[in-house]
Amino acid sequence: MATDGIISIRNVSFHRGDRAIFKNLNCTIAAGKITAIMGPSGTGKTTLLRLIGGQLQPDEGQVLLFGENIARLNRKQLNQLRARMGVLFQSGALFTDLSVFENVAFPLREHMNLSADELYNRVLLKLEDVGLRGARNLMPAQLSGGMARRVALARAVAMDPEMILYDEPFAGQDPIAMAVLQRLIKSLNSQMQLTSVLVSHDIAEACAIADEVILLGEGRVLAHDTPDALYASSDPAVKQFIHGEADGVIPFHFSAPPLQEELRGQS
Amino acid sequence: MSKRWLELSVGLMIVAGLAALVALALQVSGGNLSRNAENYTITALFQNAAGLGSKARVTMAGVTIGEVSAVGIDPNTLMAKVHMKINSQVDYLSIDSSASILTAGLLGEKYVGLTVGAEDDVLVDGDVIEDTQSALVLEELISQFLLNLGTNK
Amino acid sequence: MATIIKHITDLGAALLSKLAKIGKALLMLLQAIIVKPKASSLPRLMQQLYVVGVQSLIIMLVSALFIGMVLGLQGYTLLAAYGSEQAVGQMVALTLVRELSPVVAALLFAGRAGSALTAEIGLMKATEQLASLEMFGVDPLHRIVAPRFWAGMISLPLLVAIFSLVGIYGGHLVAVDWLGVYSGSYWGNMQQAVDFNEDVLNGMIKALVFAFLISWIALYQGYSCIPTSQGISAATTRTVVYSSLAILGFDFILTALMFGGAV
Repeated sequence: MATDGIISIRNVSFHRGDRAIFKNLNCTIAAGKITAIMGPSGTGKTTLLRLIGGQLQPDEGQVLLFGENIARLNRKQLNQLRARMGVLFQSGALFTDLSVFENVAFPLREHMNLSADELYNRVLLKLEDVGLRGARNLMPAQLSGGMARRVALARAVAMDPEMILYDEPFAGQDPIAMAVLQRLIKSLNSQMQLTSVLVSHDIAEACAIADEVILLGEGRVLAHDTPDALYASSDPAVKQFIHGEADGVIPFHFSAPPLQEELRGQS
Repeated sequence: MSKRWLELSVGLMIVAGLAALVALALQVSGGNLSRNAENYTITALFQNAAGLGSKARVTMAGVTIGEVSAVGIDPNTLMAKVHMKINSQVDYLSIDSSASILTAGLLGEKYVGLTVGAEDDVLVDGDVIEDTQSALVLEELISQFLLNLGTNK
Repeated sequence: MATIIKHITDLGAALLSKLAKIGKALLMLLQAIIVKPKASSLPRLMQQLYVVGVQSLIIMLVSALFIGMVLGLQGYTLLAAYGSEQAVGQMVALTLVRELSPVVAALLFAGRAGSALTAEIGLMKATEQLASLEMFGVDPLHRIVAPRFWAGMISLPLLVAIFSLVGIYGGHLVAVDWLGVYSGSYWGNMQQAVDFNEDVLNGMIKALVFAFLISWIALYQGYSCIPTSQGISAATTRTVVYSSLAILGFDFILTALMFGGAV
């Protein structure tokens, strides 16, 4: 398959200390779709996101973004690439000393030369998209978790990027906030013709909006298919995750010697 | 917190800091910025300049008129050669003036005291004071004292 | 025998890793400060001067006052035994200007401003604000670290000068107003004994060195901390401890260089 995908991961290996997180990882993320990257904790979902965003460099292999190998780019080129991409961090990562308005205006002030009126209107429109236009003068400390995430989303799309990365957008949210976020992710993706990549382990929420799902495990791709296909899969690893089984390929018991050997008072 | 207050207070702090520095310079260190004041150098030879170091005061009638700029050995006479910078306004030191090394107070800080003589001609830059009284060394005093005790017996 | 060798190897490894850390810290610093100054960074510098400098003023003023007063009191008591109580002015001034102002002000600064800087940057790291800045193409070293560094370098020397002056007035308050030393003697002896270049300027040089050390340590600890609440708290503690040790250590070195062997 040609690099139709906007993101291409080729033979990527990554270690953290002694642990190998990825070994020869290969996958392609298609343009214009919502792709969910899922997997049990510790399989490197957030690490993968960081590799895509260029914050981490792979030990081996290449990460191609918009066809460019990010490891080869210098700082300026990397920043240009990043300007085409929006990132929503898990904690929102709003700048605590700036108001909601200023947070959303931040990338616009950095990268574009807009007049005061143009900037103002643009920020208002983005806040309107996430439903928080009225909150524009609040400080991040005054926002609830869900609201903070929505502001961060407005900030991430302020520059009309071609791609957005979401790091655990549904984690710890109440059902209403989750529904709101789902709706926003879906509508933004279709409205702005984006490519959305979201990392999550909320199966129901992610599968509800994703066009494709990549399931990671044991340092490699276990499955890459539509949500329906994954639900119907008979692969034991996929089954355990998708159906939320407590014990299976990923064992319930942490590795330990047999119980009889460890109990006291036994001969 | 308003921007005005922020800028104002930062400005005040910087001004206060610089003013403190200036005050330290003038009030606290006696405005020795008059390092550049006009002065001329004279020297004096002493048998013993024990305890006299540079920056020591040079006084006349108890009033500071300059400072010692260097203490070394004169290779010709093998005596201690003390260079002194005297304030140019003090231009009445006669050429037969005498110099003594004295001790100030109990803490023993040594300084040079000059006494004017009777001649009309005055010392100018580069002149040498010949009539000198060396520093009092404690050991010599004690041995002097013991000697006197012995002879007076 | 084997354990001894192991201990030595461990020591060596620890030393090497410490050196590597210092290298990383140096890299961070150089990256942050070696940059063309821009007019747009001035408001950020002003903001930091306020947070780091102005907000440390109160503690400096109060401490300086009390230290000066204690010096006046103790100095008077000690000197009175030799009948030299009129020299208390020069004692207070020299002690403050040469040693106490730079060192005490720096220690207070490390505890107040240094720990605040570490905690702030550590928190920004933990809440992914630093990563966020990077993704927006903004270098957090230039945007966040650099203004704080320069604010520290500018503030501490100014605070040290203010500290000395307030301390000397504190000594005056006790010695002259309370204990009856002649005001003229207080200032006069002081002016004789304190030399601007030797004493005041050397004290300011110490202040600059301490400012550099504290700002560098505080910023590096924050920047490189483990981004959890435990990590931030550990980093903050390290800032205060390392800064204090560095201040005292360098104070000795600087004092030996500046005043050692002098008359």
